[in-house]
Amino acid sequence: MNNNTAEPSETMIEMIKVSKLYPPDVVALKDVSISVAVGEMFFIIGMSGAGKTTLLKLISSMEPPTKGLIEISGNPIHQLKGFKLARLRQKIGVAYQDFKLLADRTTAENIAISMEVSYKKPSIIRKRVKDLLAQLNLTDKHNTITCELSRGEQQRVTLARAIANSPTMILVDEPTGNLDATTTEKVMQLLTKCNKSGATIVIATHDDSIYRHTSHRIMELREGRTHAIVGGNGT
Amino acid sequence: MSFWVTVIRQVGRNLRQTWGSQLMTLLTVSLSVLIFAFFYLIYTNMLSLGDKLGDDLTLIVYLEEEPGPELQQQLIKKITTFDEVEDIRFISSAMAYERFAGQLGQNEDVLDDMPKDFLPPSIEVIPLKNLRSLNQVKLFSAYLAKLPGTLKVQYGQEWVERFYYFTKLLSIVVLLSGTLLILTTIFMVAYTIRLTILGRQDELELLKLVGATNNYIRIPFLLEGLLQGILGSTIGITALYTLFHWIKLRFSGPGLLNLFEFSFFSPIVSMSIIGVSILLCTLGSYSTMHKFLRI
Ligand SMILES: Nc1ncnc2c1ncn2[C@@H]1O[C@H](COP(=O)(O)OP(=O)(O)OP(=O)(O)O)[C@@H](O)[C@H]1O
Ligand SMILES: [Mg+2]
Repeated sequence: MNNNTAEPSETMIEMIKVSKLYPPDVVALKDVSISVAVGEMFFIIGMSGAGKTTLLKLISSMEPPTKGLIEISGNPIHQLKGFKLARLRQKIGVAYQDFKLLADRTTAENIAISMEVSYKKPSIIRKRVKDLLAQLNLTDKHNTITCELSRGEQQRVTLARAIANSPTMILVDEPTGNLDATTTEKVMQLLTKCNKSGATIVIATHDDSIYRHTSHRIMELREGRTHAIVGGNGT
Repeated sequence: MSFWVTVIRQVGRNLRQTWGSQLMTLLTVSLSVLIFAFFYLIYTNMLSLGDKLGDDLTLIVYLEEEPGPELQQQLIKKITTFDEVEDIRFISSAMAYERFAGQLGQNEDVLDDMPKDFLPPSIEVIPLKNLRSLNQVKLFSAYLAKLPGTLKVQYGQEWVERFYYFTKLLSIVVLLSGTLLILTTIFMVAYTIRLTILGRQDELELLKLVGATNNYIRIPFLLEGLLQGILGSTIGITALYTLFHWIKLRFSGPGLLNLFEFSFFSPIVSMSIIGVSILLCTLGSYSTMHKFLRI
């Protein structure tokens, strides 16, 4: 299961002494350093408010760090702008904790967005959307507008949008918060599948059922600091 | 290919979402193009009318007495120092009498009792045939009135002056409606696009997050402005054209309007008006984008 990815030949995410301060004085992250290899699956856990979402926001360049350096495939992302930043973001799929779905659009349209921005052919988009919906038990919701979906369904649509464009890195924030055990299993299968085909995956969660038996690395955050990194080979 | 499919789909979405204000903008753009083009059309027709009327314009300077050849030369010199003229003709009392008699025709006999020199001698000054001399005709006549031995100066005073002020007024109206056109197109287009942008903050935010390039986000809005410009100006010009022909048909036959040959814009002018409107609308959308779509 856990194969040679633990001996990183290439780093996907490199964070060195990263801190994030929200004004006026909320320390969301303090001196966090991690290095995630290409193709790795990486868990971030911690109590509510520990800084998991903040960490993902920094990695996906939604927020700039207050201090420290963040590199994605060797690019210091907070110096990227315009076209280069857009291209990088096309390669990062993010499933947000607050979903960020367009409430007045259908499930299919929401998923298609991430592919449209890189100008995929409409026929390819249609096929991929159908495919993903089938894998997430949402086939019958193809034309439902997303504000009419249950939270668990919305969560899966968000995930589908994140992985639709086959990104090289997938960041998932609390992917199973509203799901039953069976659906959780399905979601994890899908993520594992993406991981097998080469995507780097970072999962922030406090659902211990999805990381309890994993052999992947797990980082625990406490009040914005790295408390421990466990698992993996030789870590 | 996929780029344009996506972009056009996005434009369609924008239009559907704010079709009410889009329609209003389209109407405003069409209307301001119509208003501007309407006055401009009248103006250009007036100019060519002025040219034609100017053909018959003659200033007649009545003199106290017959000028000798030497004085004639002096007068010619004085007249031409004011402005170049097309022609200067000296009419003696006798010539004036004959001409008058000719005009009377059968009734010539009423002149039997009159002395042959009862009409004063005169100079006919024919100004150059252009609008400038038409506009200057008042000054010119004042100048001629001051020449030595002048009794009075006559020309189609009334109409020349009225015509002059009318064209002047028209040119102001054209300028005003032109300004209106510029303002409405730029601001209305900018305003509706701002509405669209504000109504879709969430989506634009998300698009940036999933890696939409500037072009991906901006081009649909630019196209929207372009579309407004194309449709609005075409509708405006077409409406004016229809109106023009309707009026021509309605008032054809004997009548004042028939005295002059009214003509529509040449294709080049029509295209220029359309082109400028398109440019203005695009400018409107571009300016909003610059303010509200910082990426
Ligand atoms: N935009 C913000 N402005 C101010 N403070 C913020 C902001 N976002 C997060 N915080 C604070 O930063 C800390 C970390 O928040 P974060 O959302 O990263 O926690 P989390 O680990 O994702 O929690 P949860 O498990 O509940 O999602 C919290 O104390 C939070 O209040
Ligand atoms: Mg969170």
